[in-house]
Amino acid sequence: MQARRPYGESMKKIALNGLLISLALVLSYVESLFPTSLIIPIPGIKLGLANIVTMFALFYLGFVSALTVSVLRCVLAALLFGGFSSLMFSLSGALLALIVMQVLKHGHNKLFSLLGISMGGAAAHNTGQIIMASLMMRNTAIYAYLPVLLIAGIVMGFLTAVVAQNLFYLVDKTHVVNRLG
Amino acid sequence: MRLKPKLGDFFIILLIAASAVFLTFSLRQADTGEKIALIIQDGVVVKQIRLDTLEHTEILEYSGEYPGIIEAEKGRIRFKEATCPDQVCVGTGWISKNGQIAACLPDRILIRITGTGSAEDDTDIWLH
Repeated sequence: MQARRPYGESMKKIALNGLLISLALVLSYVESLFPTSLIIPIPGIKLGLANIVTMFALFYLGFVSALTVSVLRCVLAALLFGGFSSLMFSLSGALLALIVMQVLKHGHNKLFSLLGISMGGAAAHNTGQIIMASLMMRNTAIYAYLPVLLIAGIVMGFLTAVVAQNLFYLVDKTHVVNRLG
Repeated sequence: MRLKPKLGDFFIILLIAASAVFLTFSLRQADTGEKIALIIQDGVVVKQIRLDTLEHTEILEYSGEYPGIIEAEKGRIRFKEATCPDQVCVGTGWISKNGQIAACLPDRILIRITGTGSAEDDTDIWLH
């Protein structure tokens, strides 16, 4: 029989999940204020700040938690300041990024540091968005944007990794929540 | 606290950069002099404009959820005005090289410049 988890633990997990969803939502809003697409005029280009939260959820609470946080963040962001099409783009990007990061996470500390995991995730996010865009536009010409988006993924993935590394370091010192694995 | 890159990290960077370079070269089209702008909405070519021989400015109004105006001149084309919320299409500005695109995602409309042999080019458009 499976050992029952103490109530305190699951309560803590639910509370943390809620906290992470709201944090990711705030970051989505903050980056919507920052006009990245006016500097680099490519549809859907973003800073990807919310990815820090996804990475945190993945490393401290597990895949299911990270999935919940990203899906709910996308849905809520679309309801608040996006629309149906923006939901489709962000969902496809977020899901592909999460899958790639989950796979790369197996090699964490051995093959990859947070750098590789985060850059792989960012590049996957942008690729997922372009795939969805080409499906919605019924045309493959949109792939012309992918090279720039991939390079942007390296840059943004790097910045996300630096922030995540410092965040993980500080959280590990507090022992509020412990890293998985 | 400091990030210590691992060997696999460099492999990932290399893989992403290599894909970007590969895509750039495979999508690149030689400038043949002949320039045709395809205006594609919902996967269908709604209009073709021969840009290199265009004598005067051509204005094209498009409808959809967010109507807008496309402007074509000799050798170049752009989204002049749009009512979409993100304005990325207008921000793209003029495009003039073969292989370049400008897109308005909210309206699912796209401009693509293509050179000679554009007849084959139509095969990558998914008709419904």
